[in-house]
Amino acid sequence: MWDHVKLSLQSSMGRAMESLARLLPGILAFIVALLLFLFIGWILAWIVRRILAALGFDERMGRSAPTMAEWSPRLTPSQLVGRVVFWCFFTAGVMVGVSAFEAGSSENVVSGWILGYVPHIVGAAVLLLIGNMLARYVSRSVLIAGVNLNLSYARLLSMGVRWMILVLTAAMVLDHLQLGGDIVELGFGILFGGIVLALALAVGLGSRDLVSRSLEREASRVAEEQQPERVHHF
Amino acid sequence: MAGIEFSEETREHAKRIGSADIVVGVAGPVAPDELRARAETVVGLLGPSYASLRLILAWPSEEAGAPVGSLTGDQPTALTFFPFSWPGQAAGEFWEGVSAQQRAVLALAAQLNARACIVLGPDLAALHAHPLQLFAYAVLERQCGLVMPVYNAGRYDGLLNSGILAPLSRALYGRRLRYPLAFDFAASGAMCARLAGLESHQNNHGGNSLLWPATVAATQSAQTTVGQIRLDVHHQTASSGLDLSRVLTQIVGSLFQEMEACAAHWQRVRGSQPVPVWGAAPGEPPDAQPVDTRPMVDSFLLGSRNLDEVWRLVLPPNTLLDLRRLSRVAPEEFRMPNELWAGIVYDFALAYRLRTLSRAHLLGALTPLYLGWVASYIREVSALSHADAEQRLEQLSRVWEEKKPYLLSRWRWPDRFNP
Repeated sequence: MWDHVKLSLQSSMGRAMESLARLLPGILAFIVALLLFLFIGWILAWIVRRILAALGFDERMGRSAPTMAEWSPRLTPSQLVGRVVFWCFFTAGVMVGVSAFEAGSSENVVSGWILGYVPHIVGAAVLLLIGNMLARYVSRSVLIAGVNLNLSYARLLSMGVRWMILVLTAAMVLDHLQLGGDIVELGFGILFGGIVLALALAVGLGSRDLVSRSLEREASRVAEEQQPERVHHF
Repeated sequence: MAGIEFSEETREHAKRIGSADIVVGVAGPVAPDELRARAETVVGLLGPSYASLRLILAWPSEEAGAPVGSLTGDQPTALTFFPFSWPGQAAGEFWEGVSAQQRAVLALAAQLNARACIVLGPDLAALHAHPLQLFAYAVLERQCGLVMPVYNAGRYDGLLNSGILAPLSRALYGRRLRYPLAFDFAASGAMCARLAGLESHQNNHGGNSLLWPATVAATQSAQTTVGQIRLDVHHQTASSGLDLSRVLTQIVGSLFQEMEACAAHWQRVRGSQPVPVWGAAPGEPPDAQPVDTRPMVDSFLLGSRNLDEVWRLVLPPNTLLDLRRLSRVAPEEFRMPNELWAGIVYDFALAYRLRTLSRAHLLGALTPLYLGWVASYIREVSALSHADAEQRLEQLSRVWEEKKPYLLSRWRWPDRFNP
């Protein structure tokens, strides 16, 4: 009996080693393809940055599209383009690597599934990037504007805006990755709907006194404003 | 030559006029009838030395009108009223609109080959015989390329100029101009052409393109003589209708942009030279009413509590420590030292250049710090005489000059220190 057990174990180990041996060339092909594309992407990104610098791309973008520099101030436009080129080649390297894996290991199912899913991953990554940039920019804008308007709750407002944008982004990313299905949509709808309803109740019911006090203050401020200003900044 | 393209009608009228000795231009929309009435009275008071001069009084109008000549009383001074128009006449916000109108006036003067151009603010506060005489004297007799005003301002007036514009311009360009950005100034014929032709150059850097005549005079020609005249004129823009943060962004942002564009020049400048001033010293302005600085201190404290994460990207640790200490002192002991304020503005200028964060955010984050300085300054000068308050501003300007090496080293080697 122990001989049978030993034989079964040896045969299953043999099959496992055989499967691994079949996969190894594919994995090696994947790594080689990825490294090759990484190298090409790095070279091309460098060349693109040099060409754009020679063409004065940063100065022209600053004149015609200052928004780009405002959204991502630490990177110049040419650096941004260089990074986009590099990551495009990285993505291409992954896809070619998966094809090479398929060719090397005769596993068609994996590559078909991965190749079909890569655009979703890319789209989700782009959404995540844009969502994060937007959340950071808008929350900082709200914070600074709130402080300059002397709102004591400026930081709270800024955090609320940032988290709303991040939650919205997360829901869009999960939807794009086709993860969670209806649960994500329902959950997001309930969450956002709940927040909006709570705000509406708070403003409608809780701020009656605040609104009337605010109106009284405005009315008395009109009388105060008729006094001449004593400090002139300009 | 000029960046301003006038309407065809205006160009034809200018060709018909040919040339002028002095162009007096109003940089903004005015009521023509009021302008004519005042101008005729003023020109009548100019004196016999102006009898042989051809004066053009120009103002922007939505519809260009034919120039109309006028002779005033016993003085046969030839005065021509010239409403002009140009297609891009849409007024920008606050100083953008003023700068655009000033450029248009200078371009018209250049087109008319004027020997001198006097630019006045649209409220016509400077449209009097004495200011016009002083401007004309400085340009025509003293051969100044640019003449800037020294307003008889109270100690709580023009605080943005006193706190940032004047000391920074002085430290950078080495000329002790009291008002580097003004509603009223005068320029020689050659300077008009230079200033008017600058629009395309300034727009190449994007963003706000205000006209900084003093910067142009300091950087574009080392031979340009600059003078100042004392004006007992008050231009007071009501601050309540304006968003301080947006105006700060516009004006200080433009100054930082100029700094970036003229870096090769101001890095070679050391110290500063006095600029000659003409005109009798007017009487002291009336005593300013006491000001409650509490709201400004509260704005500063709110900024220090909430904007720490933004200030940390721009200011070095020792400055942040000083600000934190300042936020903990009692309101009656609130004092922002000159060195701290100068360092803060220099650090913001560097962050503007390096795009450490969005420029709009950067200048928005400067507002609470500026209000903190204003509160500190008001507390210091409230008990001083007008002369002592001016002396206090002189001390502030000297500190900015002494701190310039700090700006230079960080500008040239930004990577050596990164907060």
